[in-house]
Amino acid sequence: MPESLNAVIDALPYLLAGSAVTLIVVVGAMCLGLCLGVPLAVGQLYGQPAIRRAIGVYVWFFRGIPLLVLLFLFYFGLCTALDINLSAFTVAIIVLGLISSAYQSQIFRGAILSLPEGQLKAARALGMSDRRAIASIILPQALRLSVPGWSNEYSIILKDSAVAYALGVPEIMARAHFVATRTYQQLPLYLAAGVIFLVLTYLGTKGLRVLEEKVRIPGYSPQGG
Amino acid sequence: MTTPVLRIENLSKRYGSRAVLTGASFSVNKGDLKILIGPSGAGKSTLLQCINFLVQPDEGRIWLDGEEVRPGHRRALCTYRQKVGMIFQDFNLFDHLNALENVRIGLVRVKGIARDEAGERAVRELTRVGLRDHLQKYPAQLSGGQKQRVSIARALAMDPKVMLLDEPTSALDPELIGEVHSVIREMGQGGMTMIMATHQIGFARSLASEIIFMEDGRIVEQGAPDRIFCHAENARTREFCSKITELYGETR
Repeated sequence: MPESLNAVIDALPYLLAGSAVTLIVVVGAMCLGLCLGVPLAVGQLYGQPAIRRAIGVYVWFFRGIPLLVLLFLFYFGLCTALDINLSAFTVAIIVLGLISSAYQSQIFRGAILSLPEGQLKAARALGMSDRRAIASIILPQALRLSVPGWSNEYSIILKDSAVAYALGVPEIMARAHFVATRTYQQLPLYLAAGVIFLVLTYLGTKGLRVLEEKVRIPGYSPQGG
Repeated sequence: MTTPVLRIENLSKRYGSRAVLTGASFSVNKGDLKILIGPSGAGKSTLLQCINFLVQPDEGRIWLDGEEVRPGHRRALCTYRQKVGMIFQDFNLFDHLNALENVRIGLVRVKGIARDEAGERAVRELTRVGLRDHLQKYPAQLSGGQKQRVSIARALAMDPKVMLLDEPTSALDPELIGEVHSVIREMGQGGMTMIMATHQIGFARSLASEIIFMEDGRIVEQGAPDRIFCHAENARTREFCSKITELYGETR
């Protein structure tokens, strides 16, 4: 047992450096997903029929194809075919971000739909254009309601990011695997990797809880109190 | 003859085969308070919402200060809506903004007034409706009557030419109705032109310059309150007035 413990302790700095990579991938993907997800949700709800259909196809595409297939498709397929030189790390962020944008758009769409219809009416009655009303009235409320959904999305992307190992991104899983095969200490190292993921999940969801509380509208409860 | 502040002609709206508003026409002069009465589903709310195009009428024309409204023109529509205040039955305050911000946002985001100046104006309007001490409260922390008064302040801050009030006290506890009525009464005394749908018959009778009785999407009869309540020509108007007077009590 001490030998396996030593293996983990020796590998720990190396694994923690991997968790920094993992976190950058996850945060990057979530930000990309947010930036794309908001316009996707707005377009799907308020856009012209052609736009709605296009967004529907986009969401279907990125929710319907397995992550591993998309990673290979983009990294080995598209980048090669189009002769684009992107690192595996960048491709992992982009692909996870695109997938996340599809899921996040549905989180936002649900949040927008849950707002009372009167909010938009009141904004229009004041003379706001629809664009202005969405930016000033609808989104600030919808984004607040989306925080619990993000918490879920965060833990999913975090776990999905381990698949980036297949492209050789030096994240937690790739590093654990590397050390495990060198030292033959598979059990302790994969356990260590699992524990790191658990800790990151805990910290992230905890952080989002704090955010949720911070942006909560005073006197307002989701139950409509 | 002076130009009416608002004139509507032949306003109609159908949902599928169901006509919810048919050929509504009337004009409102400066300082008038027109009160729409009639059973639920008579089209009062649809009429009010058609007037500022929250519901798109199928037919009809509207003039504000003698100028015809062009609802197809987006900018013109936004400008028109600024001049037509709307008070909703369920307040529709912006839930994520406190009372002050609710009143200020239209001034800043629609009229482009600087934040500080807009804030001062918002405080003035909220003071006018008796909410000086509740500026920082969020809608969820206010009573129904307070919420409705914030929404009145929000509309008044835009300096509307005419106010549309869609059953402003229907969602309120009886004891909170008075505070909203007194704000509306003050608006009227200040010369505000208003069109209001309500079931508060005593209030209507004491303040209205004219009563419009609607049923099945049509204006059945319009005239001075005493005439509508005491000498209505139409039998259905008489029947409705006597029933509602019985229900909601005395003349004031």
